[in-house]
Amino acid sequence: MLHTLESLESCNYDGMDMTVLERQAARLKWQQQYYVVQNNNPVPLSASSVPQSQGLIGSNLGSGQMVELKRPEVFLGTDDLQDFVNLPVSGPDFGESEKLDLVPPEAAADYCISRTFNCQMTTPNIAVMKEEREDVILEKIESTTGSGRVSFNKRKAEAVADHKSKDKRIRGEGESEVKTKCSTEISRNSSKENSKASEVQKPDYIHVRARRGQATDSHSLAERARRGKISNKMKCLQDLVPGCNKITGKAGMLDEIINYVQSLQRQVEFLSMKIAALNSSVELSVQNLPMKEFPAYVANFPAAAKLPEMAGLPCFQLNPLQKESVRFMLNESLHPPQTEGVARASVCITEQSLSSSSMTQLQPFSTWNMDPQGLYNMYNMGFH
Amino acid sequence: MDLQNLNPSSLKSRFTARFLRALTEINAPKTISSSSPREIFQRYRRIKVAADKSMAYSVRSRRIWSRATLWRLRTRSRSRRLVSFGRRASVKTRTTASHGKENKEHHGAVLGVQAEELRELVPGGEAMDLCNLLDETAHYIKCLTTQGFCVYMGGLLCEGCC
Repeated sequence: MLHTLESLESCNYDGMDMTVLERQAARLKWQQQYYVVQNNNPVPLSASSVPQSQGLIGSNLGSGQMVELKRPEVFLGTDDLQDFVNLPVSGPDFGESEKLDLVPPEAAADYCISRTFNCQMTTPNIAVMKEEREDVILEKIESTTGSGRVSFNKRKAEAVADHKSKDKRIRGEGESEVKTKCSTEISRNSSKENSKASEVQKPDYIHVRARRGQATDSHSLAERARRGKISNKMKCLQDLVPGCNKITGKAGMLDEIINYVQSLQRQVEFLSMKIAALNSSVELSVQNLPMKEFPAYVANFPAAAKLPEMAGLPCFQLNPLQKESVRFMLNESLHPPQTEGVARASVCITEQSLSSSSMTQLQPFSTWNMDPQGLYNMYNMGFH
Repeated sequence: MDLQNLNPSSLKSRFTARFLRALTEINAPKTISSSSPREIFQRYRRIKVAADKSMAYSVRSRRIWSRATLWRLRTRSRSRRLVSFGRRASVKTRTTASHGKENKEHHGAVLGVQAEELRELVPGGEAMDLCNLLDETAHYIKCLTTQGFCVYMGGLLCEGCC
């Protein structure tokens, strides 16, 4: 019970005229109701009480926000306690009964109403009824006042979280169908409306408000944070990988990323193969080259200059067929075949690459687009 | 025209400098370049290794994938040297694979299949959880595009020179 009190104290009831003590009193009373229920035998709910609750709501709605604020007190009246005074209840709960007198006089009207309400009910399952009433009230409030205020939603979320945490602690498995139905209804209704109610993480790590209908234990919070991080990173990757804007969903995105990385790796392999095949005994002086030559080359190929990082890629979108041909070339080069065979294989590769890419960026490869005989001659020239 | 390549400390310029240096080393000893396919293949391998190595060295140890690549290259070179003694060296590291698998099971195999494929692609990916894996993938993609561009330009250069 202590931690519920703490949680209650930590919440900001903005605009409420309640002191901490009053809230404590309210909570105590609420707790006592639960405690009493445990000691009594369960008795089925009376159907007539439900429309009465709606009548209650009608009368309470006039006070607007005040209804929701006084929620704990609505169900707790001094009279309720007096009804149960004669029952055998443990000492500590009633030791604090003196605090009940601190209930503010404004709540008297509500108490009157609740008194009439409670007299007609059978004692056990009162907690069930009260929960049901609360849920129904919340639902009604929701539907009428709308989701205007974030603080309002937060308080509701807190209340429901409290609800559920209390239930877990006190009830265990003995949840009634009515209550679960109400809560699921509420969570369904509120999931759309309360999307604005974000996690409020205060500097003190204990007090965390979760979204409505979601668990508040540390594991799920950590899991949620992790998922958020992953989605952020997926968005960054989406910017990096071209053509990923149309695809939604993590699985499709990952597939695209995998394909892209594979094609980039194959591109480098293909380029190095090309260098190996074409390369002659050229002496490259390192000092001259990087700074001066490259700008010149970049200027020569305007298409490449536009997107320097992407220049290579559209040329070398090697599909699996091309990869096969590269492998074929590699396999061939391992055994000592004819040079012509190698030339033919390389022609296959280049023709495929030409067909699948834009022509503007393939000026260097245009020299390769010759008949095999010419290519063979070029090879001979290149190598000698 | 873009002036990215003129920044002396950029990834591109670092990589190109190293790669060109490696290229000269590869090409220099060959006074008479034979047209044998085996030679071509060997040279291809060396060029590819040079590209990967220069890329990894340009990034230093700042990234997990670069460290993994460097480690792999060193082990491979070491294993090649020791082959003559009849020792079989394991090229790929699997010590951290079990740790990665544990992570996968913990966090639920929602994207398990694709994540595993990605781990195979990105060097050193076996040891990373999905969060870090995505980070590494982003940086790796950026570096791969740079590498491809520079190798492409290097090829043009060689072609232009001959």
